[in-house]
Amino acid sequence: MKRSLFDRISSLPGRVGEKIGLFDHVPEGLAPGAPPPRHTFRWDLDKTYLRTEFDSFTDLAKSAFETAADKQAYPGATALLRALRQDGHRICIVSGSPTQMRQVLAAKLALDGVTHDEFVLKNNLKNILRGRFRAMRAQIPYKLPAMLRSRIGAAAPHETLFGDDAEADAIIYCLYADVVAGRVSIDHLERVLIASRAYDDDAGMILDLARRVPKAEAVGRMFIHLDRKSPPIGFRRFGPRLVPVYNYYQAALVLYEDKVLSARQVIFVALEMLDSGQYELGHLATSVQDVIRRGRIKRETALQLAAETQDAAQSGALSGRTDLPPFEQIAAAFRERVRELGGVADVTWDDDPLDYVRLVDEEHEHRRTRRKQGMG
Amino acid sequence: MHRIVVDAMGGDLAPDEIVQGAAEASLQLAGAEIILVGDAAVLGRILPRMRHDGARVRVHHAPALIEMDEKPAEALAAKPEASIAVAVDLVARGEGDAVVSAGNTGASVLACARRWKLLAGIKRAALAAVFPTELRRGEKDDPFSLILDVGATVEVTAEDLVGFAVMGSAYAKLVSQNRRPRVALLSNGTEPGKGPPEIVAAHAALVETTELNFIGNVEGLDIPRGVADVIVTGGFTGNVVLKMLEGVSETVVRLARYAHKERLAWRLGLVALSSAIDQLKQLTDWQQYGGAPLLGFEYPFIKAHGRSNARAITNALKVAQKALAGNLTGNIARTMAELAERT
Repeated sequence: MKRSLFDRISSLPGRVGEKIGLFDHVPEGLAPGAPPPRHTFRWDLDKTYLRTEFDSFTDLAKSAFETAADKQAYPGATALLRALRQDGHRICIVSGSPTQMRQVLAAKLALDGVTHDEFVLKNNLKNILRGRFRAMRAQIPYKLPAMLRSRIGAAAPHETLFGDDAEADAIIYCLYADVVAGRVSIDHLERVLIASRAYDDDAGMILDLARRVPKAEAVGRMFIHLDRKSPPIGFRRFGPRLVPVYNYYQAALVLYEDKVLSARQVIFVALEMLDSGQYELGHLATSVQDVIRRGRIKRETALQLAAETQDAAQSGALSGRTDLPPFEQIAAAFRERVRELGGVADVTWDDDPLDYVRLVDEEHEHRRTRRKQGMG
Repeated sequence: MHRIVVDAMGGDLAPDEIVQGAAEASLQLAGAEIILVGDAAVLGRILPRMRHDGARVRVHHAPALIEMDEKPAEALAAKPEASIAVAVDLVARGEGDAVVSAGNTGASVLACARRWKLLAGIKRAALAAVFPTELRRGEKDDPFSLILDVGATVEVTAEDLVGFAVMGSAYAKLVSQNRRPRVALLSNGTEPGKGPPEIVAAHAALVETTELNFIGNVEGLDIPRGVADVIVTGGFTGNVVLKMLEGVSETVVRLARYAHKERLAWRLGLVALSSAIDQLKQLTDWQQYGGAPLLGFEYPFIKAHGRSNARAITNALKVAQKALAGNLTGNIARTMAELAERT
């Protein structure tokens, strides 16, 4: 039988293959005898952790030639990732960036002091060599199996996911959560994969992973970083578990309410944002008001955080920060922002099941429209 | 960071268009925080439908609103928690830096007069308006001149008119990037002795100033020509002039419509001119100007047109930020102090 170009190139010496990004780095899962993680945090990179522009060819080219030092993380993202790196927690990165970017992205994470357990990138060179051009743009047939495979290797009872509003992250994450929870039948998943234009053998592989993945109500929270400032109302249909956030202080607030982060850790996220020079205390206070208004945290949570942060500040979390006003003043301003809202009623949520086939079709239509408008 | 307070419930198209304009401004004005004042439940339903920056737009609840046709004094007395009153009060309490409103003009002026102080040396506030002109001005090639006062103060003294001249000049410098705006008094003749006593006395005072580029008196016909960049007059005359100019514009449009219907040749003529008319409409589009200021108070107040849509509100917010960034009120106060020192 005639060997494909990919098979022939795959026999190149390992170092060369590594250099040109030919190989996949399939996560190894847990070492034998290692305890399962308590909580897994799955992060996308571009537009979620890293400020990346790829709306035009120039942006793409610029991004490809950037060094690790040139790459910029969003304010607060590094502090949040470090805060999440606790005993029993697992940090898994699944990014749509090409495997050729592995070295520079790994170097950037190392520069930021972010350690991770898994780091999966998209092997588009393999797709090109196999003539699978459709797969280059496809998101669901790439990310969903990567996450399922990761969970099969190391299943945690709790998972939190971080993505952005540039691609189909909200759909993929909810689909993953529902597959893991056993709410999506294999038949329905097959229809979703057909709608997402997955190749037949890829679809077969994904269905196999979906059958094997340990089932549990594991994914409690998903965050969508509003990099494009998409209207938050567009994400309401995904329910309260998926939270669109304008910045990582908002994500930290929700994780504080979820009892994943302490008040002290929320302070560190806030301080990193203030130190970036892109945020002032007023922006953070307004961010609190915004998540309350959108029904993503309770007022009581914000007030409790103000009280607990005051304790944390007194125990030295703000020591040496002479650039900040006295903490009582900050806490009072935050409480005032909550009060300004008046007696607004709580937000209510529909709990209708998601029709993923329709969501995927809509997403494709949306992407086509954007392409026509020249917006990537 | 500049905190710009927006009366979200004021205006014919409020709150939807006002919120949309503010949402857009939150993406364009990096150094500003926007405070939407109005019914928090209503605003909370509209805001998530818009692209905006959630860290730069906040909501301050105000349970009442003043309609466009309500009598200002009565409405403010009956509704102390109306959005315009709360917006002005927020700034007075140091929780905001400027106000933008497309709502009831009288209520806006009255709310400011009750809660804000006048700048040192200014006896009365003035409401300004812009009017399209034949000649252009400033680095921005602005096709608008500024007329003030157009209704905030009915009876004026010569001293008030000098104050208006200082305020109008400072505003034109900042917004039109016009380094030395030509300031004129509106009168019934160009000679210094023409006009009522307060105009004659103001003329005598203004020719002595070196701070202003005072070009003397102008007549009504000079306004649309654009002879002056800032036209100073009392509120009664200013309001009559403004309404008359608006009336003339509307009549011209109606006559064009009549011509369009009446004869084929006239219709063809209008079609031939249509691109030029469109260009003229774009040039004189008040929505791009955003709003006009209420001058004389210690804080900037930008009064947007009652029919303002989202674009006009975004532009009004840009004007407010420009007024704050350029320290408009500080510049007026400084010039007034310099004038007072010399006299």
